[in-house]
Amino acid sequence: MLTEFGKIFVFILLAVVFVLIALFAAKLIRPSRPTKEKMLIYECGENPVGSPWIKFNIRFYVVALIFLIFDVEVVLLFPWALTYQDYGFYGFLVGLVFLLVLGLGMAYEWRKGDLDWERGIISPPILNEILKNKKAPLKINDSENQITEEIKA
Amino acid sequence: MDLSFITESLYFVKPEIAASASIILLVLLDLIFHKNKTIIPYVALAGIIITGIFVVDQFNISGFAFLSTDNPKYGMIAVDNFGAFFKLIIIISSIFVVAFSAYSDEINKITDRLGEYYALIFGMILGMLVLISASDLILIYLSMELLSLSSYVLAGFTKLRDRSSEASLKYLLYGATSTGMMLFGISILYGLTGSTNLYIISAALQTQSLNLLTLAFSIILIFAGIGYKISSAPFHFWTPDVYEGAPISITAYLSVASKAAGFALLIRFIKTTFVTFVDDNGNWQLLQVFDWESLLIIISLLTMTLGNFTALWQRNLKRMLAYSSIAHAGYLMLGLLVFSNQGLIAILIYFTIYLFMNLGAFFIVMVIANKTGSEDIDDYDGLGFKSSFLGVSLAIFLVSLTGLPPTAGFIGKLYLFIALVDAKMLTVAIIALLNTVVSLYYYIRVLKHMFLTSPTEKTEKIPLNFGQIAVIIIMLIPILLFGVYFSPVVDLAKSYITILGF
Repeated sequence: MLTEFGKIFVFILLAVVFVLIALFAAKLIRPSRPTKEKMLIYECGENPVGSPWIKFNIRFYVVALIFLIFDVEVVLLFPWALTYQDYGFYGFLVGLVFLLVLGLGMAYEWRKGDLDWERGIISPPILNEILKNKKAPLKINDSENQITEEIKA
Repeated sequence: MDLSFITESLYFVKPEIAASASIILLVLLDLIFHKNKTIIPYVALAGIIITGIFVVDQFNISGFAFLSTDNPKYGMIAVDNFGAFFKLIIIISSIFVVAFSAYSDEINKITDRLGEYYALIFGMILGMLVLISASDLILIYLSMELLSLSSYVLAGFTKLRDRSSEASLKYLLYGATSTGMMLFGISILYGLTGSTNLYIISAALQTQSLNLLTLAFSIILIFAGIGYKISSAPFHFWTPDVYEGAPISITAYLSVASKAAGFALLIRFIKTTFVTFVDDNGNWQLLQVFDWESLLIIISLLTMTLGNFTALWQRNLKRMLAYSSIAHAGYLMLGLLVFSNQGLIAILIYFTIYLFMNLGAFFIVMVIANKTGSEDIDDYDGLGFKSSFLGVSLAIFLVSLTGLPPTAGFIGKLYLFIALVDAKMLTVAIIALLNTVVSLYYYIRVLKHMFLTSPTEKTEKIPLNFGQIAVIIIMLIPILLFGVYFSPVVDLAKSYITILGF
């Protein structure tokens, strides 16, 4: 019969076959209307080809950090979930306290607006004073868009 | 299966539980009172006082909490009088720092982030409380990281100022490197002895024959981590930049509380791991596996000489006080390197006094910077004439930091030097004494600017409100009182030197 490694090999085989079948079936069923954006290499909305010195939204990092923290914390729940029944109600309570603290962290991020993608533009006070003195506010965003359009062209 | 080993331990960690509960409460209040945060400093103060009550409750209680699974005789947390004394120092300095923050313009400008500010201060308190009583290398490392991470953020809390961000980044880089080295040292020590508990390591060192070179390597690496926390040379390079860039209330906190926790850790690490017994005269018998005495003598003399001589050139008061706090780390180490109860008593006395004099000096620098916006020594010209109360108080704190009678600083240095002379280390005592003479120059230079230079047109009278005067007077009284009537401090220190296991 199959050894332990043999079973793993069957799993790998199944995984490969499943992906191939799914891709083939999708190709048969789906409509095909390719556009330029759709043909790009998949890279989470960033430009995948070109100079690496591009502006990169810092909120990616915030989201990544929040994800990482919760991911690691959830890993800590697995050993608890496997053994808490041995400790009775007290063991359940320990996990509950942990989850409540975790929830507090979530509430904190929510309330502070770290989960919102659209946030008010925070400009340093020095820039504000320059803008106030000039009275004709610079249109930073517009000029940026112009530059990117020029590059594209 | 039961969890009684955890529930029984909770009795010994009441201060730590109170500090953790305060963090959660502060974050909750920060979320509830989104707009108006005036309540938060009061809640923080109440939290510190409750933690302090639990700490006082721990006096004269000793025992292990969170017992080790390999050897239930020992635990991860050792509660004893020595730890309780240092915890009290942490609590008192935390109360002062909350008072400082209430009067600091830097902190009052960022009212929308007050909740984070106090929650992070409680993060530091929790880290320090655990660090002081930890007797397990893993717990030492964890609490040190908690303390460091909170202080990295606090050092850069006024984030719109370039210097503050620079301080935070430099602190993070130095901190990450030295805690990394410490972790490496811990892993080697664990590999050698097979345990992370200091008491079990001590037993292993006494019975097994180990490779002494490997042991020395791991000890030096661990010492690098602790030396960074107490800012001893050659791990002191972060101190001036961080102290200068951080908000002054945080600088004062780092220079007293974080240093006290580091010293408590160093003393506990050496005494539980490397001391076999204490003889009738109070001398510690060291294990002959590592030459702690030479290492500490070299580091101590290097630290105080570097600190004092570099302070001579500083024109920024915050930077000068940073170098002076490096020098004081050197003086404090003198009490440890004699390896006797007498030296430990001297350290406890010195820390009690250092708490008041260093916080006092920083508070006055902060009050002046609130008004003038500068810490440059030239801006202190003629300050003694315009604001005489501030001038005289700063003079007293600086004279006390130098160690001249009749201030309390003299008593602190006296006990350290007596301990050195009794241990027949005359050369070390003379070098330390000469260092004190050097330090006289830069402390007195501030007095010269305040009292012997006539006021320029830039010098303004600095207005003081009742609260600020009260804070200064509360710190002045111990400095003047303990300078002439010091037996209460000495008696207190004598009864709080017991470390569990001896």
